[in-house]
Parts: sequence; structure tokens; C-alpha cells
Amino acid sequence: MRTADTIKKGEVAIIDKILPSELTLNLMEMGFLPGKRISLLQRAPLKDPMAFRLENTVIALRKTEAQLIEVILEN
Amino acid sequence: MPEVLTPEKLSTFTVALIGNPNVGKTTIFNRLTGLRQKVGNYPGVTVDKRFASLKIGDQNTTIIDLPGTYSIYPNSEDEVIVHRVLNGLDKTSKPDFVLAVVDMSSMERGLFLVTQIMDLGLPMAVVLNMSDTAEEQGIKVKTHQLYKALGVPVIQTNARSNKGISGITDLIGDQMFEQPASFLESDRLLPEQLSTAIQERFSLDNSYQAYQLIRFHDKEPILSHEESEWLRQEIKGADFDIKSTQLQETQDRYAAIQQVLETVVEKTDMKKKRLTDMLDKVLLHKIGGYAIFLGILLVIFQAVFAWSAMPMDLIDGFFASLSASVAGLLPEGLLTDLITEGIIPGIGGVVIFIPQIALLFAFLGILEDTGYMSRVVFLMDRLMRPFGLNGKSVVPLISGIACAIPGIMATRNIGNWKDRLITIMVTPLMSCSARLPVYVILIGIAVPAANIGPFNLQALVMLGMYLLGVVAVLVTAWVLKLVLHFNERSYLMVEMPLFRVPRWKDVLITVYSKSKTFVFEAGKVILAISIVLWVLATYGPSSAREEAIAAVEVPADGASEEEMLDYQHTLESAELESSYIGIAGRFIEPAIRPLGYDWKIGIALITSFAAREVFVSTMATLYSVGSEVEDELTIQEKLKSEVNPTTGEAVFNLATAISLMVFYAFAMQCMSTLAVVYRETKGWKWPLIQTVYMTALAYVSAFIAYQLFS
Repeated sequence: MRTADTIKKGEVAIIDKILPSELTLNLMEMGFLPGKRISLLQRAPLKDPMAFRLENTVIALRKTEAQLIEVILEN
Repeated sequence: MPEVLTPEKLSTFTVALIGNPNVGKTTIFNRLTGLRQKVGNYPGVTVDKRFASLKIGDQNTTIIDLPGTYSIYPNSEDEVIVHRVLNGLDKTSKPDFVLAVVDMSSMERGLFLVTQIMDLGLPMAVVLNMSDTAEEQGIKVKTHQLYKALGVPVIQTNARSNKGISGITDLIGDQMFEQPASFLESDRLLPEQLSTAIQERFSLDNSYQAYQLIRFHDKEPILSHEESEWLRQEIKGADFDIKSTQLQETQDRYAAIQQVLETVVEKTDMKKKRLTDMLDKVLLHKIGGYAIFLGILLVIFQAVFAWSAMPMDLIDGFFASLSASVAGLLPEGLLTDLITEGIIPGIGGVVIFIPQIALLFAFLGILEDTGYMSRVVFLMDRLMRPFGLNGKSVVPLISGIACAIPGIMATRNIGNWKDRLITIMVTPLMSCSARLPVYVILIGIAVPAANIGPFNLQALVMLGMYLLGVVAVLVTAWVLKLVLHFNERSYLMVEMPLFRVPRWKDVLITVYSKSKTFVFEAGKVILAISIVLWVLATYGPSSAREEAIAAVEVPADGASEEEMLDYQHTLESAELESSYIGIAGRFIEPAIRPLGYDWKIGIALITSFAAREVFVSTMATLYSVGSEVEDELTIQEKLKSEVNPTTGEAVFNLATAISLMVFYAFAMQCMSTLAVVYRETKGWKWPLIQTVYMTALAYVSAFIAYQLFS
């Protein structure tokens, strides 16, 4: 299973599930939910953090947080 | 159907504005209240609350603006406020009604918070804001359908263009808030027996409130020991797992919201390239992004130092002449002295920083309002991390170049405690504007006004002092990261909002209210200390004073005005030397001798513990420049010619001046900062640690500097 930190620019993925951790709720509250489409918008210089497009919002996460989001690539 | 809550209208009531970050809550608040708003502090917690009293019709209302939050389960310090207010833990600000603001283009997340508030059972209304952006993105909402689904009034607005604001005013005026039925069957979350038991014991209205109490009973000191013990037993008896339940709640809630949204939202796919995305390509570029940020920082620097110089001079002059004219008006005496030498200069010492602070707040406000600040967080996060800081620490640190107080207050939105604490601990090391006059005088004494290539040597040293502060911040943060152990995971989740043109009026309101807070926060402390210092500098053991005064040669009759003035100054200086402060200065002399200071500098160190800028006025008095002479050049001349009576050498040589600058760069000489750190960390532990480590750092570094240069 891939996690969100491996998404490349131009790829669109569907969130499959959020791995259990103390941040699971925080991620879900911000809108990272199973079934949502997510894509990578920008990587900060030094590759971290990453800015994800989630629906109509852009949210920056560190790599370690993105690793909590399991995704399935579209197509 | 929702029950109508208010058959009889309340004549005074409180409305709380709640919503996710970046949904326009504050714009709505500003539109509703204009300049009537006040900033207060939440009792027991340390986040500003902005509130304003409004008269709508014949009713008095109080509107409170709460920090943005994604849910009623708090993560960061400012979200705790929302939790406290909603659960009535702050008796003074328990709202009668809630006005929940939702960004129309991300309804799902907004409704998550809205439905949680609904389940608490608070009478409320929903504002769908930013209708313009939603429309641009092809989102339409059937307001009436949403009203039917939620059972609370729904208003569509676009607060930036003032659209729909009158609707909100009417809604508040007519108290059309409605108490919703609970959205989620929270009975399913909590075993019925447990729920009933808790509701009965704490007289709560519904099971969601009972659930909240379970969730927070050990975090808030709201329950007595006996009560929380009882609750613990009950939870244990019911075999209730809060974590998995909360996960379940989140999933159920989103599923239910999804169902609602299917019926109320119409979405057409717009393949329009967003301006924000294009701007981000430039602003977040791996080289260009930093270059732009650096450019912005330089402009801010320029503003804080160059543009504010003139108004600061004016304020300085004003307080000097105020002091002089009050002295002329009032009869001579101790009370007059207290007013003209203690109180007025004390107030002046705070007011003089207003231009710098207002300018800095204006810039930060604009950067925040356009949406750029979260990009800075994004750019800087990785760079700050090795030092135990994070992207969000950048704003406090930048604020620190004007004043550490707003900087420390700006740490509140850092989600995890360790990062926040480290930021609080190091922010005072940034060279704040109070150090500037100290640097100016000492550089003028010690550093020749020569040029190295195209650069002015004095300017280079000044830049060096600022860089020294930055280096100290990074090194200290790194050390703290190694030393402090908290079982907490450092994380970063920041929403990057759409870029927008700043709302100038809102920026002005923010500048005004924040500057006001600064003046009163810092003012209280500096004023109090100024008075204490004045007393200590005015009084001394009577025998010593009489001796000192008697030792000053009284000029002969017919002495020139100049001689009389000289006599006056020498007398003042002698009095200060024999005062309690003078005695203290002599007392600490052995300790500061290795740094190259004499007891007179010792006096200045003591007096400027309250605030650094006091150094200049103390020096002026000590070296009998006369208190009316505000000219820094005069002080410089005097200090330069000062000779140590025992060694016959100049007191202020290069080594002493550099050592003193380094000391002022690092020492925690600011009572107001200490007071703010006390408030923010809720205890004396951290401010004490901070004072000790900064003073130690200052002492050791000044010692090294003195040895290197002498």
C-alpha cells in the first residue's frame, strides 16, 4: 500500500485509510478522510513539508504525517 | 422540527463566533463591531479574546470572536479556549448563542464543527461565508434545504464585500437562533447507563455533554478530586474506550454530513486554473521563494528601524517637554519628582515603542491576511526543525525584533507544547527595539566611524549584534531540544488559504487593538518598576546621603549659569551614588568586574533589569548629563571621557563596550517579557529558568568578549 508521501506531482490518489496514531483524529478533522481525492501540489525545498490539494483546500503536512495516509492511485 | 427557544427575548446576551481557521470569522466580527472591540484575556488561560458590546434595537449584545478551530476537541492552546467557552467553563464568557461560520467552499469540514456544537445543545445559527469563492469553484448551496436538514437558521454571506452582513445583524437583533435537535445520535456512542449516571450527577442536558466530560475530565481542573475519581470508576465499570469511540464519532459524523451535503450542494466542475496555484509556483519556489521572503524581511526591517525613527523622536521629545512643563507647573517636592522623573518617563518608555510595534503588526497583519504567512511556515519548517523549532516559530521570532511580548503571544497557535515552549524560551534573544538605543550609544563610543570598503564599520557592528541574537536563538533552541523531554510528537498541519488582497480596514483594526494590548500589558509592569526604581534611586541611608551631598562643592555666589548647572548635575549624580541603588551597584561590583564594568555600570545593569532602554537614562543621570538632555551624543561624549579613578584608564574602552553590548544582547532584562512568559506557561518555573539561563549566557559571553578584546 502506498502512503501519501510517495505521491508524485501530477498524480491523483484516493485516500484509503488513515493509519492509527495520535494524529489520526487531527488529520480527519482537517478533512483527510477515506474516499477523498488528494494530489501533491508542492514540495517545500528540501522535500519537506509537502502541500497537498484536498478537495478545495491546500494543506501542508510533513512527510511523517503524510506517511499516515494510505492512498490508492487513481488509474 | 426545531423547537423555538426564545419566546421571551433576553435583553442582554452573548453571541460567540466560531468556525474553522480562515473562514472569515474575524472579518465578520470586524464588520459587525468596527472599532468598538476590546481585547481581554480569558480567565485562567492565556489567549486573547476579542469582544465588543453592541446595541441592536433595544438589546445589548456582546459579540465574542473565538480562535479558529477544526473541532471542539482542542489541539493547540487557542483551541482550548473554544472548548472552554462552549462548555461553560469560563463563567464570564458563556455564550447564550453561537454563530457558526462555515467556508462555503469547504462545507464538509465546516459542518463537522457545526454539528458538534449542535450536539452540545447550544442555540445557534450558521453563516455560510465566502460565497464568492465557492461560486468561482462551481459550488452552489441550497440554503433552505440546509436549514431543513440542520434545523438552525442559515445565512449566506460574503463578508469581504459586506454582502449578507445586515442579515447577520438582523438575526442577532431578533435573536433568531434556534436550539437544534442533536445531529448525531450520541446515545449510540455512550452506553446509556453511563450516560444517564453522568448526566444526573453533573446535571447535564444530554449525553453528548456527558461524553465531553469523559473526554476532558482529566485535562481540565473542573472537577473536584472526588468527582473525577467517581467518573474514573464509572468509565472503568462501563468498560468504555474513549479513543476508539472518538474515532467512531468522527467517522459517523462525516458520514452523516455527507448525506446532508448530497442534498444541499450542487457542484459543477470548473477547470479553471487558480491564481493562487500560479502564485504559489513563484512564492514557494526553492530559490525564488526564499529570495522573496528575504526581500520582505528586509522591507520589514527597514520599516521598523528607519520609518519609525521620526515618530519615535517626536514621542521622545513630547515626553521630555511634558516632564519639563509639569515640573514647572507643580510645586517643587517629592511628589512632583515622582511624577516628572518616575511616572512620565516610565510611560514615555513604553509609548516610544508604539511606532515600531504598530508598523511590525501592520506588516505581519498584511502578510497574514493575504495568506502569505502560511507559505512562510511551509518554506521554513524544514530549516527550523533541526533546531527544535518549527515553521510556525518564524512569526514569533520576526515579531521579536520589535518586541518579545507580541512574539511570545504569537506562539499560541503552535500545536505541540515542546515546540511552543522552545519558541517562547528563545524569542527574547532576538534583538528587540529596546536594545537599539543601548547599541547605538555603545557602538558610538567604541567603534570608529570608519569604512571598510563600501560598508560603514559601525553599521556592520550593529548588524553583527542582530545576527548574534539570531545565532543565540538557534543554538539555544538546539540545546533545549536536546535537554527537554516531552512525550509528544512534533507535527505540522497548516492550511494554505487562497491568496487575497488584504482587507486594509481589518489590518488597521488589528494594528490598533494589538498595539493597545501591548501598551497596557507592558505599560503596567514598566510603570510599576519605574516607580520602585525611582524610590530606590531617590532614597538612601541618610548619613551616607548627607555625606555625599556635603562633599559636593557649592559654587560661590555669582557663579555663572553654567557653573550652577554643573553643580546641579554633580549633586544629582552624588545623590544617586549614595542611594539604595548606588549601594546595590557597589555591592555587585566584584561580580561584574571580570566583565570590565565598574559599580556605576552596575547601577545601570540593576535599573535596566526592568527594561533595557532604562540604561540610557541611568547613564545620563550617573554621568551628570542632566535628565533634560536627551541627546545621545552628549551621553557618548561624557562616557568617552570617563576615567577610572584608581587605574587612570578610560572606563569605556572597546572591550568594555563590546562586553556590555553582548550582555545586553542576551540578558533577560525585561520585566514585561517575564510577566508574559509567566502568563503563557502558567507558572513561575519557565520564566525563572529563562532568566537564569539568559543571565548566565549573558555573563559568560560578556566575559569572553571582554577577555578577547582587552
